[in-house]
Amino acid sequence: MNARRFKPNETVDFVVVGSGAAGGVMARELSQAGFTVLVFEQGPRFSPADFEHDELKYFFLSGITVDPAISPQTFRKNSVDVAKPTSDGQPALYARLVGGSSNHFTANYWRFHESDFNERSILGSIPGTGFADWPITYHELEPYYTKVEWEVGVSGLAHASPFDPPRTKPYPMPPLPVKSSGVLLERGARKLGLHPFPAPMAIASQPFRDRPGCVHCGFCMGFGCEAQAKSSALYTMIPEAEATGLCEVRAESYVYRVATNAAGRASGVHYFDRDKREHFQKARAVVLSANGAETARLLLNSTSPRFAQGLANSSGLVGKYLMFNQGAAAHAVFEHELNEYKSVQVTRLLHDFYESDPKRGFYGGGGIDGRIDPQPAIWAMTTGGDLPRWGADLKARIEGFPRSMVAAGHSTSLAVESNSVSLDPTLKDAWGIPAIRVTYKDHPDDLAFARFLQDRQVEIMQAAGALKVWRDRVGEQDWGVHLLGTCRMGNDPATSVVDKYHRTHDVRNLFLCDGSSFVTSGRGQPTMTIQALAFRAADHIGQFAKRNEI
Amino acid sequence: MNSVDGEENNSRRAFLRSSGGWMTAAWVAAHWPSIAEAARHADHMTTAVEPAGFEYFDAADAADVEAVSSQIVPSGATAGARDVHAIYFIDRALATFLASWEADFRPQMKGFQAKFRAENPTVGAFAKLGSDAQIAYLKTVDGSRFFETVRMLTILGMFTSPKYGGNFRGSGWKMMGFVDQHAFTPPFGYYDREYTGFVPYPGTKQS
Repeated sequence: MNARRFKPNETVDFVVVGSGAAGGVMARELSQAGFTVLVFEQGPRFSPADFEHDELKYFFLSGITVDPAISPQTFRKNSVDVAKPTSDGQPALYARLVGGSSNHFTANYWRFHESDFNERSILGSIPGTGFADWPITYHELEPYYTKVEWEVGVSGLAHASPFDPPRTKPYPMPPLPVKSSGVLLERGARKLGLHPFPAPMAIASQPFRDRPGCVHCGFCMGFGCEAQAKSSALYTMIPEAEATGLCEVRAESYVYRVATNAAGRASGVHYFDRDKREHFQKARAVVLSANGAETARLLLNSTSPRFAQGLANSSGLVGKYLMFNQGAAAHAVFEHELNEYKSVQVTRLLHDFYESDPKRGFYGGGGIDGRIDPQPAIWAMTTGGDLPRWGADLKARIEGFPRSMVAAGHSTSLAVESNSVSLDPTLKDAWGIPAIRVTYKDHPDDLAFARFLQDRQVEIMQAAGALKVWRDRVGEQDWGVHLLGTCRMGNDPATSVVDKYHRTHDVRNLFLCDGSSFVTSGRGQPTMTIQALAFRAADHIGQFAKRNEI
Repeated sequence: MNSVDGEENNSRRAFLRSSGGWMTAAWVAAHWPSIAEAARHADHMTTAVEPAGFEYFDAADAADVEAVSSQIVPSGATAGARDVHAIYFIDRALATFLASWEADFRPQMKGFQAKFRAENPTVGAFAKLGSDAQIAYLKTVDGSRFFETVRMLTILGMFTSPKYGGNFRGSGWKMMGFVDQHAFTPPFGYYDREYTGFVPYPGTKQS
């Protein structure tokens, strides 16, 4: 490896905070363009052998996710309540290691559709929300979606869905082998006149760019991939950035403040090293790709006399309009074995209900896929409806594990200003930095659409011949893994935080690119779009830098 | 090596052999240390040993908690909580990796025991009840914090890695039909076995 190690007093061209889906792309694109790049990552760097098939460690002991013992967060439903730590997990959940949440994501890689970018113009305003068009179109982003598919690595079948948005190239790899959940979803959906299709996944279905194809171990969702088939930033963008000789990834280095100079420009970042010693890193420009919660937190924690309410926050919108995505499950048991614990989580999905239809009486759109809940213990623990909770009936249900699947719904969240990431006024993390406070209450339309979609999920499972179908409760969320919208993109500095090139309206050499840039939520699978945005942003930022326009 | 349980299929040797179809030899050679180490994790079920004793519980507490646990997932034709040593998982969890729960758990447990004794002075301890009577009593405390905590710990003890003290030699996984194996090849289940391929929709052109 040719990775660069910068000297302590060296000024780099770009500091990138966060090494995940967006930060990895930024690092690779900017370093390949000839700039020096220093990437900061809070968490450690794992080798493939460090990832384990250990459900307890990864789902219950914060094995690779943000740990409440050192990075606590609080939650409340509205701004009147006092936020409290949640007892059963973090409100803003993300993976804390090099590669970020691209290590433990499920790897569903849908493109957004054209309507996602101008839905406000199509449907009109929605009272009580910040429902708005994006300042870019699908067609501006399309070349970068293609770049994600070919540079990061996505398996799929182009044009298989009649609802597919336009594309300029096919996928670089064929779809992954269909599983029984995919066959049954397809069977039920086709009977109902719907259009299921092979799921696009950021998992290699065959050897790709010096990585192997999937070994079908089944430990995708919530786990890192020791086979290196999952196209996480750890295995794709990060090593390619380091191979330029211009990029250093500094792990276990926690950036807590962006510094600005007298001219109001970002001058670098303050960070703690692994021994909690404080340092300052000088940079000509700063890119925050720390995720939709941590990017907002970092800006809010970077106050100064000039930026009294937080850096880049003249609009007052930093942290606002948080969107989690909604969705619910329809569980089903069939006569024969599906063995859904094997292979990737999803092999078939459908987009027949992607578009919002005013005739329904509420806003919302989504997709449905076939899968199972992650792993044995969580599956056995699932409750709801008339599911048995203990005794012989619970045991009989557990013994049905190989014959079970889930039709999962993934749907919209409206942008509501009071849903937010802010700094907790009292709670601090293990480094003494104010903790993340999440305020969130689902919009009624989001719940209504999730229920509508769940009805369709039930119908599909029944049409597929399920012996029994039952529902999860559709309810208000108190945590999320899709951390979207908290530094929204727009043309007007009064109503957005970054412009269409991800440059903050207030600080010329400060850029934000991750889920925080989203204006609307999409339909539940955001990482493909996060990476397409990052490729596009890096393209423009590199051009700005070369023209001395930063 | 589809769906076949047993130690052989969990071994590094089997994993290497199975990998021949999807990895190039050069890739395997270059990455073998990582692969071998990763495959080692799939071997943990064979390394579980008989527990030496309790760290957190005394004998009476262990008997009561195990009795509750054994009604949550009862024994029978297949393994239940008692058979998979769930109580040893619970004990070790409260003593070590879930020690932060201990402060809440102990008063919950003592409250359960005290309530039981008050209502059943001639029996004395929940563990001494017959099975049907235990079920009847647990219905009266279903939903209590103690019951919910034991329920959660029982399921974790049955179905998480044997290295944490439960799921003895993978017997919990075997009960539920989960095969702890490092790699699989299609077909994966009954319904994909005879799938003939994706049929395009009229007007679409796949590529």
